[in-house]
Formats: sequence, structure tokens, C-alpha cells
Amino acid sequence: MQGGAWLPIAFEVVLLVGALAVLLVAVVAGRDRRFWGPAAGLAFAGAALAGVLQWREVSTSGAGLFFTAQGVSFAKSPMVVMDGLSAFGAIVLGLVGFVGFLAAWDLVAKVGRRGPELVSLLLLSLAGLHMMMATPNLVVIFLGLETASISFYVVAGFLRRQKGSAESSFKYFLLGSLASALFLYGVALTFAATGSLTLYGGNSIRDFFSSTIVTQPGILLAGMALMLVGIAFKVSAAPFHQWAPDVYQGAPTGAVGFMAATVKIAGFAALARIFGAGLVSQVDTWTPIVAVLAAVSMVVGTVLALVQSDVKRMLAYSGVAHAGYILTAMTAGVAGVPAMWFYVSTYAFMVVGGFAVLSTVSGSDSSKVPLDDLKGLVKRSPEMGWLMTFVVLGMSGMPFFAGFVAKVFSFVTATAVPAPWPANDHGYLWLVVLGVVMSVVGLAFYFRIIGTMFSTPDDQAELQEAGLPVRFAVIVSAVITVAFGIVPWPLIEAVRDAFPI
Amino acid sequence: MPVLLLLVGLPLVGALVVGILPKKRPELVFPVSLGASTASLAVALYVLWEFEAGTPALQFIEDLRFSTILDMGWRVGVDGISLFMVVLTAILFPISIAASRSVTDRVKTYMILMLVLEAGVLGVFVALDLLLFFAFFEIVLVPMFMLIRLWGSDNRRYASMKFVLFTAAGSAFLLASIIGLAVMTGAQIGTLASFDIRNVLAIQLSGTAQLLLFLGFAIAFAIKVPLFPFHTWLADAHTEAPTAGSVILAGVLLKMGTYGLLRFNLTLFPEAAVRMAPYLAILGVIGIVYGAAVAIVQPDVKRLIAYSSVSHMGFIVLGMFAFTTQSLQGSVFQMISHGLTTGALFLLVGMIYDRTHTRKIADYGGLATVMPVYAGLFLFAAFASAGLPGLSGFVGEFTILVGSYLSFPVMAIVAGSGVILAAIYLLWAYERVFTGATNPKIEGLKDLDFRELAIMAPLVVLIIGIGVYPKPVMDRVEPSVELILDRIESATTYQVPLVGRSSAVVDIEYGEFDVHEGGEG
Repeated sequence: MQGGAWLPIAFEVVLLVGALAVLLVAVVAGRDRRFWGPAAGLAFAGAALAGVLQWREVSTSGAGLFFTAQGVSFAKSPMVVMDGLSAFGAIVLGLVGFVGFLAAWDLVAKVGRRGPELVSLLLLSLAGLHMMMATPNLVVIFLGLETASISFYVVAGFLRRQKGSAESSFKYFLLGSLASALFLYGVALTFAATGSLTLYGGNSIRDFFSSTIVTQPGILLAGMALMLVGIAFKVSAAPFHQWAPDVYQGAPTGAVGFMAATVKIAGFAALARIFGAGLVSQVDTWTPIVAVLAAVSMVVGTVLALVQSDVKRMLAYSGVAHAGYILTAMTAGVAGVPAMWFYVSTYAFMVVGGFAVLSTVSGSDSSKVPLDDLKGLVKRSPEMGWLMTFVVLGMSGMPFFAGFVAKVFSFVTATAVPAPWPANDHGYLWLVVLGVVMSVVGLAFYFRIIGTMFSTPDDQAELQEAGLPVRFAVIVSAVITVAFGIVPWPLIEAVRDAFPI
Repeated sequence: MPVLLLLVGLPLVGALVVGILPKKRPELVFPVSLGASTASLAVALYVLWEFEAGTPALQFIEDLRFSTILDMGWRVGVDGISLFMVVLTAILFPISIAASRSVTDRVKTYMILMLVLEAGVLGVFVALDLLLFFAFFEIVLVPMFMLIRLWGSDNRRYASMKFVLFTAAGSAFLLASIIGLAVMTGAQIGTLASFDIRNVLAIQLSGTAQLLLFLGFAIAFAIKVPLFPFHTWLADAHTEAPTAGSVILAGVLLKMGTYGLLRFNLTLFPEAAVRMAPYLAILGVIGIVYGAAVAIVQPDVKRLIAYSSVSHMGFIVLGMFAFTTQSLQGSVFQMISHGLTTGALFLLVGMIYDRTHTRKIADYGGLATVMPVYAGLFLFAAFASAGLPGLSGFVGEFTILVGSYLSFPVMAIVAGSGVILAAIYLLWAYERVFTGATNPKIEGLKDLDFRELAIMAPLVVLIIGIGVYPKPVMDRVEPSVELILDRIESATTYQVPLVGRSSAVVDIEYGEFDVHEGGEG
């Protein structure tokens, strides 16, 4: 690791430097976004590049734990980990962040002088999100979570003069803080039960379980449950999803894609780290709970999406359902990580692309996007209309789109490992059947969106053409949705190595 | 040369080309689309020509395995059954596209959807990988939904959504079963899941598992066929769809259901198939009689033909689960024949609808004096559909009835009434539309022009052709259905009645049956 000593934290460093650089350039060279925009773009691209370098390092010399907090009382515990999970997560976060940033470019233009602040918040949040998945220490996970969450509270309320935006921000803040508190409480109880804050490394939770048989697991169970609630809230899994539709609807459309996509990536990666790798010995305890969360999410998300009239709310509820499909993969324990990655990394692009299209249709600073706004989109702007069709087909899980492979991968994974409860060899078959049924119910609203886009528009005016960065973001998202639907195996092979150690 | 990739790929290439055609040249859209689907037809005819008859083996196999963890890939091939489904599809699509000249709104989108639809349907019939099959089976919904939703008639929103949700509900069972089967297969060969049908064929399934998987597959296909009582989506979708949509729906999309039953239910789950055969056959017979009875009273020509489809598809299912060589051969033949005759009927209805914009039988009367050529063609198609000897419908239904009588005599007799009912509803409709006093509203209509006659000509030729000389078709279908029966016999205690195998020759001498084993067929 000579000369590569910075590599494990390169992702965070690049983003933090980028965030500061954006603010500095804006002060020194003026607030014209042509000056600091490239710096921000470079930071996102550099972060993705750091992920690629980490990935190479992990695949050649193997994963590693790093002691970077000497002098603190629990000095022997590693603070940073670099393994398949964190490296792959860095690549995905970097790329999704970059595309999401491009999608938010019109919004940045609209907020004018406050642009650098918005962008540096996005950069900061991304650093926090990666911290969640690149550490074995529960407290650092919490710190990353809070770094990202606080940035997002501000982004959600960035257009505070709009009624919806302020409300959205406040709601997100209150409920998000509660979830963070619950997560922290869970960390504390887990510490009380096991005597350690580190998942693995020296004197870790894993060590504790390998040398101890827990006879009275009450505190441990409470700790695990509270941590699970905190993560379920962040990835908007039902029944902890109530904030999502309101926040999505109120937050500026241009930034919702970024927020919704990246937080899901980090949330599920943290779930894989804490429960899949750290609490691997307790797998029979937590997979049934995850299965129930998955089932509730799929049903609640799908059914409530059916009755929405606002596309942003619809996509929010569909996000709840998708959280359910991803949790379905995680019911296989750590074996579900590849399917989880395939799903999250493709779905994240669909989310970014979908909201980017909405921002071109209704304005990047809009809060409400009624379904009628999409009426006749294919005629008003064939490019956006068709690309949005691909994205929506991807979300609906139609074959030859990435969402289909993701679902099949997830379902196959959930049945491949024996389940503890109800005990059987075929895994969570009931969950898979429910998931397949819910996919069909979901078609009703996905096809409603498509039908609306292809209908005859009320006003024949052509849609004002979106800026080049936003169009690029939409194109990339749609291409990824289609490409990994038709040619999924490179990604399938890659995610096989994206395991936590 | 990857012939089947070419077959499925050419329409897609066509769709892409149509998509990037400049806006200023709308006149190019139609010839490019027609050209792409005709090119695909040429490939299909090449496959038909090169196909080696007399063997049940899969031919033109392409096998590309993409992933080891999820064992899936581009695995395609044709046998005697899929061969004719491919050819039927490849014939009906250029005809439907040619018949879509009356579409003026958003022609480009329309043609792209038609070509994507063609690729999807062709893919269904050649896929040998369960996931690939499902992918094609499901993706067909998207273009069909849009065709109904955008170019359908008044009630199109309701009909298109109903179509999607009904068929997708079936697909849910199919996908769940496929995943279950793939995971079981994967467990035996040491991967996460294997979708290769050859691996799936090799594994042993317990009786309960077979039955559950059989039902999962059967529900999906029964909805697609549609088998009574899953048929309610069909009348709405057929009626509201534009002409080409109806032709494709009735002509080839319904065949995806019966093809799936034959390819998967009978082949993969022989024990369960034997156990469930009487029930499915009964549903088929109910469909025959019920569909025909409902067709009689329809006031709308398209609805009438839609319900006649329920009846005709019932024959196919009955023949399929009677498990004799003749009945299975008849089923496959009837699949082809129904595609041609119903396609012809829907095309004819579309041609008159373009002129009058009404499908109500009561709006017509005495049309034969106004449009004599049209009347003649309609009568021909009606006869073909009702099973007049010498036309294709007769061969299919007669073979099915003969074959089914050996297994289910009572059901075959009841099903025979379907032929009579077909004559009633078709000829009664003919009487009301074409004879009697001429309705003043339809006076002065132009008879069919050259383009419309050219569209009908290939169907007429084929209906007569395979009606008079069905041997080339039967010869190629026979080994494949024999293989299915062999598998059923070796897996279960079921024995095909001796005269039901083609290896037995039936001589009728002096009113007695003499059965010789091992003669030539």
C-alpha cells in the first residue's frame, strides 16, 4: 500500500476538496457557473475514478481494513475499510452522482447566485453516503448518515420561498432526525449487548459472536431492530416510508433524482455491511424481519402508487416498492449482495433519469408534477418522450430493460438459500410470489404514465428544449436502462465481487 | 450464419431505421417497414425450405451462454411445431403492415411498434431458454398495449388496460414458476439458476412440484389462449384494436398460449399433464360451445369474430390434451389455419370499417349487391373458418375431432356441435350483412381495390393450399408431436390408444378395423 495510503479515503477526499473548491472558485472568480461548474463536474468524475482505482486495488491485492484513528480510546478498531462493497459503491455513487449533478444543472441555473452552495451540498452529501459503506465502525456509519442527511434537508428546502419546498424540508428534517436518533440508539444498544462498536477487525462484534453464545438477546434484538428501522427509513421501505412522497413532491424536481437515488445506494450498502457482514451470525434473526419489511414495502408502494395523480408522488411510492424488491434480495443474507447491487445500481440511474425528464417537463424548480403535464410528451418532445418510456419500462420490470433482470436476479437469490422462518429449503418463496404479483399490479400505473405520454397533447406547442447537461443525463440513464437489460452479464459478473469482507 | 438471429433481428433493425428516418420524408416510413417485415418473411421461408422433415430434432440451433451465475442466454431453435408458428407470424405481419395504409396519425410510431411486436412474437416461437421465452412473451404486451391505446376505437383505454392486466397477471404465475424451475435446475447443476430448457428437461421433479409448476404455466397460457373462463379480455381487446392489431392478436398472439402449453406444459411436466388433461379438455369444450353460442348473438361483427376465436381456440386445447398423434397434429394445424382464416376475417372487417366506420351488423344489409367481390371473399373466409371441406379449417377441426374421440368420446361429440354452431353464426351474420334489401346508408360504396385484393390473395391461396394438400405441414409436425407423446408414455402409465399413433395403419376392409403395427404412416 505504498503511495496508495490515501486510496481508501480517496473518494471522500476528492469530494470534500471539490466542495471547498466550488465555494472558493465562486468567491474568487465570480458566481458565474461556467467557472465553478467544471470544478464540481471534475469532483464527481474524480470520485468515480477513485472508485475505479479502489476496485482495481481490491481485485489485485485484496480487501483491507485501515486504522486511521490512532489516539482515540478505541484506537485498535479500524475506521475505514476498502473491499468489494465499498469500491463498487464508490463507482456507482460517483457515476450516479455525476449524472444526477448534470440533471440538476437547470436547477443550478435557476437558483442563480446560490448555485455553488447547492452543488457543494450535493458533493458533501455524496462523501457522507460513501462513508456509510466504507467503514466497519457503527459510529462512523452514523456520522456519514448524518453528513448526507443534513445536506439533503437543506437541498429539499432550497427553494424555501416555495410553500412545498419549505414544508418538504421541515418534514424531512423532523422525521429524518427521528430516524437518525433511532439508528444511533440502536448502535448504543448493540454496543451494550456486544461491547464493541466495530463490525469486524480487532475486538469486534463478529469476534464477540464467535466466542460467546447469547442466551438473553433482548438488548441485542432491540439494537438490531432500531438500526434496521433507521436504515429502512433512509431507503424508504414501508412502513417507514411516509416522508418520501411528501419530500419528493415538495423538493425541487431537479434535485430529487440525485437525493432519491444516492441515498438508496448508500442505505442498502450499509444494510449489507451491518447486517450481511457484521451481524452474519444473527442472520436467522434478521432475515425474516427483512422479508416482512420487503413484503409490506412491495404491497404498500405498489398499491398507493396506483391512486396517485402526481408523477413525483407516483415515483416516490414506486421507490417504496423497489425498496421492497431490493430487500427481497437481502433476505438471502450476505448471498443477496450481488443481486442487491445489480438492482440498486441500475435502478438509481432510472430514478435520476426519470426525475430529470420531469424537470424538463414541469421545470426544474417545480414541486408538483401532475400526470397531465406528461400528456402528449412523445409528440411535444419525441426525444424526452421515448427516453422516459424506456426509463418507465425499466422501472416496471419489462424484459429487455434492466429492471427485469434486476427483479429476476433478486427473486432467484431469495429462493436459492434456505429460509429460517418459515423453515424450508426454498427460501422466501412466498415473498417471490408476492413480488411477482405486485410487479403485475404495478404495471397498471407504469402503463398509465406511458399511455399519458403517448396520448394527444392538449396544446400542440413543442416542449422547450432542455439544456445539454440535462439531456445528457437523461440519455445516459435511458441507455443504461436498456443496455443492462439486453446485455446484463458484464454487470452480473462484476457484482459477484462486490462483497463486504 | 445465425439465421434465427437474423429472423428476429431484421424487424428490429427495421424499427430502428424507421425511428431515425428524417421527419421530412414521411413517405419512406411505409416501404421501409414493409421491407423489413418482408425480409424477415424471406428468412422464415428460407428456414421452411431448409428444414429437414421427418425428424423431431431441433434445428437451426444457436446457443450463446452469457452468464455462469445466472445461466441464461440466446438459445434458439425450431422444430416442427415452432417452424409453422414462425412462418405464420412472418406471413401475417407484412400483410398487416400492408393493410395499415389507412393509419394516418403518427405512422412512424405505429410502424415501429408493429416491427417491435413482430420481433417479440418471432422470439417467443424460437426461444429455447425459459427466461428468453418469458422475456419475449412479456415484451409483446408493450407494443400491443400502445397499438390498442393509441389507434383503437372508442373504448380503447379500458380495453388496453384490461388486456395488459389480464395477460400480465398470467405472466406473474409464469415468471414465478420459471424462477422456481430454474432454481431447482441450478441446484442440480451447481449454479444459482439455470434457464436452459435442456438442463430443465434433465431434472427429476416430484409429483407435487410438477403439478404446481404445471398450473403456474397453464394459467399464464390459458389466459393468453384464452381458455374459458379467462376469455373476457379478448372480446374487448379485439374489438377496440385497430385492424392490424386484431389480425395480429387473433392470428399469432393467441397462438403463443397454445404453443406454450405444447412446448412447456406437455413437454416439461408429462405426469401433471396426464393428470390435468381431462379438466383442461373440458374447459376447451366449454369454450367451443360457449364461444360459439355467444358469437351468435353479437351485434358487432368484430365481437362476433372475437368470440368465434374463443370457440376455435377451444378445439386446439381439446386436441392438445387428448394425447393422440392425430389430435396433436390437428391442434398444430388448427393453430395455423385459425391464424389464416381469422386474420382474413378481421382484415375484411377492417376494409369495410375504413369505408363506413361502423361495425354494427344492423347498419348493413344487402351489401352483396354493392360490393360483390367483397361479399365473395367474406363468404370464402367464413366458410374456411366454419370448416368447409377443402379449406384449411376443415382439416384442422376434423383431425382434432377424430383424434380426440379416441381419448374423450363424449367431449369430441359435444365439440362437434361447435362446427355446426360456427356455420350458424357466420352464415347468419352473412345473411344479415350481405343479403336482403340494401341499406341506403351503404349505397355507392366502392368495391375492393387492387391493393386490398393483393393483401387478401396470399391468405386465400394458403387457405386453399393447405386445405387441399395438408401433407407437407403434417409431415413436419408429426415427428415433433410424436416425441411429446413418447415422453408422456415413458414418464407415465398413460398409453396412447393404438390407432391413435401414426405408426399404426388403419385399414378399413369390409367394414372391419384391421390394425397393423409398424406400417408406414
